[in-house]
Amino acid sequence: MTETVQERILCPVCGGPIKIDQQDKVNRCEYCASPVLGPSQSRNCVTHPDILAKEVCHVCGDLVCEDCIQKRVGEYGGKLLTIVNCDKPTCIAESDWAKPLNEEYQKLANMDWADRIDNLILRITGLGAIIMMVFELIFFIGVMFYQFLTPWSIPDISIGALGPLIMIPVAILLLNILGNLMSAILLQSALQVYVHERQMGAGITLLVILIIEVAHLLFRGLFFGLLTFPNPIFLPLMLGAFLFGTILVFVGSLMAIYIGNKKRVQLKETQEKLHLSIKP
Amino acid sequence: MPENDGYTILDRPWGLRMIGVTQMAFGIFGLLATIGLLFATLTGAFATVGYLYSLVLFGGVAVPCLFIGNYVDDLRRWAVIAQIIYSAIAVGLSGYLLYVNGLSYNWTIPLFDFSIELAIGNVAAFIAITQTLIMFYLLIRWQAVAPAPGTIVERDKSRARLIEAGLMPSPLEPALLAPDGTTTLTPDEEQKIMDIRKVITEEGMAILCSNCNGATSLTKVEDNNTVPCDYCGVILGVGSVFVPCLNHEEYLAATTCNVCGEHFCRQCLTVQEPPVDEKWQGSAVYLCKKCFEGRYRPAVTTASLVIPIDQLFSIAGGRFSKVGQMYSSFLSAYANGMKHLWRIPLQLLKSVGKSGGGGNDNAAGVLVMIVIIIIAIPILAGILMILGAIIIIPILFYAGLIAVTVEAAKIISGTDFESVDNARVKSIHAHRKPKVKESKLRPSVRVWDDEFRQASLEHQRIKLRHDEERRQREERRRKQQQAASFWRTEND
Ligand SMILES: [Zn+2]
Ligand SMILES: [Zn+2]
Ligand SMILES: [Zn+2]
Ligand SMILES: [Zn+2]
Ligand SMILES: [Zn+2]
Ligand SMILES: [Zn+2]
Repeated sequence: MTETVQERILCPVCGGPIKIDQQDKVNRCEYCASPVLGPSQSRNCVTHPDILAKEVCHVCGDLVCEDCIQKRVGEYGGKLLTIVNCDKPTCIAESDWAKPLNEEYQKLANMDWADRIDNLILRITGLGAIIMMVFELIFFIGVMFYQFLTPWSIPDISIGALGPLIMIPVAILLLNILGNLMSAILLQSALQVYVHERQMGAGITLLVILIIEVAHLLFRGLFFGLLTFPNPIFLPLMLGAFLFGTILVFVGSLMAIYIGNKKRVQLKETQEKLHLSIKP
Repeated sequence: MPENDGYTILDRPWGLRMIGVTQMAFGIFGLLATIGLLFATLTGAFATVGYLYSLVLFGGVAVPCLFIGNYVDDLRRWAVIAQIIYSAIAVGLSGYLLYVNGLSYNWTIPLFDFSIELAIGNVAAFIAITQTLIMFYLLIRWQAVAPAPGTIVERDKSRARLIEAGLMPSPLEPALLAPDGTTTLTPDEEQKIMDIRKVITEEGMAILCSNCNGATSLTKVEDNNTVPCDYCGVILGVGSVFVPCLNHEEYLAATTCNVCGEHFCRQCLTVQEPPVDEKWQGSAVYLCKKCFEGRYRPAVTTASLVIPIDQLFSIAGGRFSKVGQMYSSFLSAYANGMKHLWRIPLQLLKSVGKSGGGGNDNAAGVLVMIVIIIIAIPILAGILMILGAIIIIPILFYAGLIAVTVEAAKIISGTDFESVDNARVKSIHAHRKPKVKESKLRPSVRVWDDEFRQASLEHQRIKLRHDEERRQREERRRKQQQAASFWRTEND
């Protein structure tokens, strides 16, 4: 080998090429713009040469320690992203468009403690709501099946000139579509418990809809005269599934309200402690 | 056409689409003929054998044609095989009919007091020719129309377009790079490296290779702040600060999560398209799992990347509402067409009234009969279609709810977080650009394809310019007002 090939330096994040423009400042990946150390750059803070740097200034590219940084939240096309700048006046001025991050607030309002319980709540309410949804879908088909394909029939209904021939299918269709819609709303709310801000509201909504849904099912049961049902397995099986789903959603919604309220109190206390009158 | 394991609906040949449409048309004709035959039998124009005929027509033409036609054109192997078998049977039967009865074979179909001559021979010839063409086309283009078993075909058009572009933003080809950092290795060399590489080291903190994912100890960092990967040999730059990953203290953080700003390794970050903003420099934005799931709350506002669960229903139900829309627009188009059709019999009636007055009674009677038929058939068809809507709409509703339930089950069964590290390994193994698993939980994983991004940037620029112009206008007006009030006070 007479000639050594200039080997390309790869970005440690994305694998994109890095062009070394600056020897003692960070160079950025040509693709993802992640900062990479210059060939002769020290790993320590530029103002405190004996402290290992913690962040890199997004304006000047200097490495800085925790005492020399400002964290900000900048809006990029509607998304809020964190940026870091050093305490040089020019870099502060350049970063002025982004709001400084209230680190004290961030620390006090941290909700990492709820991660595991929130996951659990999402699964409990989600599973319960799915069971109830499947229940409604099967209930719909089941009632249709027994009404039209077996001798069994719901009690005669007629309103004015409309006789049972029209009113029975209409009643079955409307009441069951209503039940299906209700379980769809239930499912929708059950998935919302994973979002911090909506957890408590979703929990309360779940409880309310659950009560209406149970009442609606009982009403349908009596209205359709399901106690005279011919099949001895269908009804107990369905009721068992419904009960299981109801218990899951009920427990999940109580947990969501409890945890959601805890978060609310945490935020309120944080705001009082920091003397914030409005939400930051 | 891409490599065999990556078909999308965009690879579908034009002829296949035509076959699908043709089969659907056959199916619709079969359905109409079934209804007509059933109706004729009900009114007593046919003997009881009419029921059998309509059943044969329904089960032999309407259902298979509609069913196969619906699936054959989106690259499904079984549908193509079914179509070939169906075509062969159809060619055989119509050929036999032609052989026995000849081309000029006609059926006389009784209709009230009239009868219609149906050139069954011609129909059979037409069926034989089209089905032969279909069969030959499918056999000749077998490679292109019938993906091998186990092939994954992306059938959603918008997602197919994204796959063609490569879903996860990455500058790397789906193959290992040679130590020079530019050329790619052969599959054999690649396999060797992937077999020996390790993701842990015993010598303290490690840096993860962005090429092969191997872990190289930080003790091997050279004086110029680069480190050659122990396994694949590429030269890696060293991330700006010496901070371990927040979740793995054994790995050097690759970079920060762009949302929360914490340091993470390649196993803890996922990548998305960048925000649509001129201030943003890179071609990607990195997110940790927490931020990906929208659970980080920056203290300057209340909402950042909140999970758009609200869109779940619109997305899951979208396909079904689309069918409903098509049906309703079809109905309205039908009603529209009828308006024009009815003008003809009305004019006919008018002319009968004019020429009438005790003249040719018989001719007028025939005309009235024709008018009634012309009016009655479309009305009947319309009523049938409305009845169809009464059945179809609840079915669509029901199907939509099933889709929602399936999506919800996916959501609670686990996260779809795909780390850059995982995506890289998968892309090397599959030899495809890394693809993001998308759930309905986060439909925005990649919404900004380049066109959209360009358009948004342009939109922003225009908005900025307008704001600037408005500001200047207001400035001028204020100055003028100031000037005016100045003169007024001066005059008073
Ligand atoms: Zn990069
Ligand atoms: Zn700076
Ligand atoms: Zn410092
Ligand atoms: Zn490597
Ligand atoms: Zn994050
Ligand atoms: Zn990590």
